[in-house]
Amino acid sequence: GQEKDKYIAPSAERGWNDPPQFSYNLQNARGQQKGHLTRRAAPPTSSAPPTIPLSSNPLAPPPCSLAPPPRLQGKKQNCFMMKCCHGNNRSDGFLTAGPPTTTTPPVQPGSQEEEGGGDQTQCEPDVEVVLSSLNRALATCRQSVKDQVCNDVEKRLLLLDDSWRAGKLSLPVRRRMEALSLELRAGHWDSANEIHRSLMVDHVTEVSQWMVGVKRLIAETRNLNPELLEQLQDTSVTDQDSDLLQG
Amino acid sequence: MSTYQEFIQQNEDRDGVRFSWNLWPSSRLEATRLVVPVSCLFTPLKERPDLPPVQYEPVLCSRANCKAVLNPLCQVDFRAKIWACNFCFQRNPFPPSYAGISEANQPAELMPQFSTIEYIVQRGTPAPLIFLYVVDTCLEEEDLQALKESLQMSLSLLPPNALVGLITFGRMVQVHELSCEGIAKSYVFRGTKDLSAKQIQEMLGLSKPMASGQQGRPVAPQDASAFCRFLQPVHRVDMNLTDLLGELQRDPWPVPQGKRPLRSTGVALSVAVGLLEGTFPNTGARVMLFIGGPPTQGPGMVVGDELKTPIRSWHDIQKDNARHLKKATKYYEALANRSAVNGHSIDIYACALDQTGLLEMKCLSNLTGGHIVMGDSFNTSLFKQTFQRVFSKDYNGDFRMAFGGVLEVKEMGVGGTSQWKVCSLNPSTTLGLYFEVVNQHNAPVPQGGRGAVQFVTQYQHSNTQRRIRVTTIARNWADAQSQIQHIESSFDQEAAAVLMARLGVFRAESEEGPDVLRWLDRQLIRLCQKFGQFNKDDPTSFKLSESLSLYPQFMFHMRRSPFLQVFNNSPDESSYYRHHFVRQDLTQSLIMIQPILYSYSFYGPPEPVLLDSSSILPDRILLMDTFFQLVIFHGETIAQWRKAGYQEMAEYENFKQLLQAPLDDAQEILQTRFPMPRYVDTEHGGSQARFLLSKVNPSQTHNNLYAWGQETGAPILTDDVSLQVFMDHLKKLAVSSSA
Repeated sequence: GQEKDKYIAPSAERGWNDPPQFSYNLQNARGQQKGHLTRRAAPPTSSAPPTIPLSSNPLAPPPCSLAPPPRLQGKKQNCFMMKCCHGNNRSDGFLTAGPPTTTTPPVQPGSQEEEGGGDQTQCEPDVEVVLSSLNRALATCRQSVKDQVCNDVEKRLLLLDDSWRAGKLSLPVRRRMEALSLELRAGHWDSANEIHRSLMVDHVTEVSQWMVGVKRLIAETRNLNPELLEQLQDTSVTDQDSDLLQG
Repeated sequence: MSTYQEFIQQNEDRDGVRFSWNLWPSSRLEATRLVVPVSCLFTPLKERPDLPPVQYEPVLCSRANCKAVLNPLCQVDFRAKIWACNFCFQRNPFPPSYAGISEANQPAELMPQFSTIEYIVQRGTPAPLIFLYVVDTCLEEEDLQALKESLQMSLSLLPPNALVGLITFGRMVQVHELSCEGIAKSYVFRGTKDLSAKQIQEMLGLSKPMASGQQGRPVAPQDASAFCRFLQPVHRVDMNLTDLLGELQRDPWPVPQGKRPLRSTGVALSVAVGLLEGTFPNTGARVMLFIGGPPTQGPGMVVGDELKTPIRSWHDIQKDNARHLKKATKYYEALANRSAVNGHSIDIYACALDQTGLLEMKCLSNLTGGHIVMGDSFNTSLFKQTFQRVFSKDYNGDFRMAFGGVLEVKEMGVGGTSQWKVCSLNPSTTLGLYFEVVNQHNAPVPQGGRGAVQFVTQYQHSNTQRRIRVTTIARNWADAQSQIQHIESSFDQEAAAVLMARLGVFRAESEEGPDVLRWLDRQLIRLCQKFGQFNKDDPTSFKLSESLSLYPQFMFHMRRSPFLQVFNNSPDESSYYRHHFVRQDLTQSLIMIQPILYSYSFYGPPEPVLLDSSSILPDRILLMDTFFQLVIFHGETIAQWRKAGYQEMAEYENFKQLLQAPLDDAQEILQTRFPMPRYVDTEHGGSQARFLLSKVNPSQTHNNLYAWGQETGAPILTDDVSLQVFMDHLKKLAVSSSA
């Protein structure tokens, strides 16, 4: 589902100790760095080597078998994460635990997929609809943009079409392309660009052959003179109505 | 003293400055007696979301050899509209635009909270950013494919107006012409022959740049593409360049059995530097070098093509058995200097299982402020994400990279001004600056009782504006003879540790390892002798005040760090670690010196624990951050529980949470750190546990050939011991009346 989209666990096959991979959106969601992990333990004051504290674990395993870990008791929630307990990270003393909260995976910032209505029953993106939006934009561009450029874009849109119909594109890519085409239709150039970037970052192998054409299409479309843009947007609206009528 | 802690923190937050001493000794003699020099860590472009730049140019002192910038320390006569420079005492009239100022209506640059302020310089045409990719094609198929994809991806991350260029190399060097139509043309150079800049420019048919020879007058973007077919705006060539990259093949020259590929890195870089020199001198540019192995032919070769001759190790270097080292280093230093003079920076992205020659090439990045990224293969998330982060954006949507930096440091009195060029900067780039107090002993404390330093950083912002950031700081002078305790309480042990460590690393580049350790030990002992409270010859009486209590520990870890202990690493690895160490901010530098260790358990919130083997317990999970690695270590019992699968059972949900907790805490680091660290998930008995064990235990394997500590005379601390024994020995030496 969406989670797989955001975080790819480290792969033992790739590099030695390769770190996990974060999606474009997750990486860009960084806010002010809190710098949680910055405290150090105070140095020992006595000359004697530090003693190993007696483990107060009442469940120290009996010699022949492994005792289970402490069980979750009723509503009591354990606070393991630095993030929820964190106070002033400059103090040297041991911090008392803050209000306990459950550890939850980090909240994902509103991704483009979720903008379009995050219901799980979202239908399979329709390649016809997506391509027709893009092709309509291209047709409008042909009126003022150099032929060579338009032909290059068209070549790539065909590649996109082929790859999609041949089942070579994964669901996240198809979903995001649908979202991109909607943003393009609506004239939300920056959003469309963000989606293109997120696709290049997260799914470069699948999209690199044709995505630069889509990128160029966004760039050229946004630069069209207002007249042509209006033309484009009018036709888009008409189509949307007709889509709705068809149910 | 908690007030100094707050003072130190506030100053760092506002000005990006951390001084070793926050009260300055008033004479040179006293300053040397303090052992740690008066010095500071300075982050010129510290991220300040709360500091919007002002849209006017700075007001400068009119004295020709001063030119200090108007700042909060200046005396102002609002009625006469005159200000007195606090550095040279010259009285300057305000410019006409300041006619309306008054006590109640002051310009920002006079207000104390704007001790750091940024100006946008209006003059001049904005110059485009330039990115020149220099790509090794002697890679394995899978590796090359991954690299190609990363480069294609990066085109989507570049600003549309940036200029981009491509040079590929293997046995030959190819400069690709980027045109919008038809056939792709390229110019080929032999990889064995070095050429002068002039020859390169002639061969590439480069006409003279329109603004050639003019200081700081960059070429307008629309003219650029007119005469440089090799560097074109992204928005124009992205489709063609994407295709070109997609079609790149492995270097076609076959590599016989037992041989290395012939890689002409030296000539490739020479062409790149020459190309930029001839077309865009004095403009922000990044040469990005991607290599999958060492240079094996032509100038700058680091090793021959016979596999049976291994690339030099530290032992080879010690035995003076590294044939190419001196020559190659000299070659790359010359290129680096040329690049720096032009304000161009060079990044090295080196991904290979064996060394690639970072030792010889590191000057390319070190002298120009470029990055060095080291990985095992281009097909790893470590490389891909680190590379992505080169193009990361800040809270304003601008790149976190700045170009053509010139830092000027102005101090009061005799010193005058010093200038340094930092071709490439980012918000965390931190410089170490070391000052000399020049006052004669027993001379009166200078007028005003305060010393002042002004840092003026001019640079090209990633949005192509030229900006000037000015930071002006002051600290009180103190008479060391009567106020030594105050001076002591103003000691910033964290900053001091990093500043001394940087000095150590600097020395290590030219001195023998044991000599550097001896020097570090000597400084530590002297500091303890000066500031420790003790009874003579009674080690048990030894005490250090709070402001110095952590310092010996930092030095203990520094001595054992990969920055000074090189024999456990390859020369390339040492170069890589040192490169990052001397440019990071204080917090990250401390992590590198003394890794952070947190312990997770059922018994309470996560807590920092000693970097000692006693912190390894069966029912704890440890998270260690060394900056270069994040290690999660599961104690024996935890590992057994994990193996038994308790985390899958509903009633042991809390165990699942415990396992997840260190991963979540590590996430912020993994998401933001540059370069991305290696990630080790291991447990008691695991082979990867060695990363943790080597940090917490005295190193057992360290059998070096040099028997330091056995010379007569200089007192020395013993190596290979625990912190406890180290501290004991230190105390003995500090209190000894015969030292």
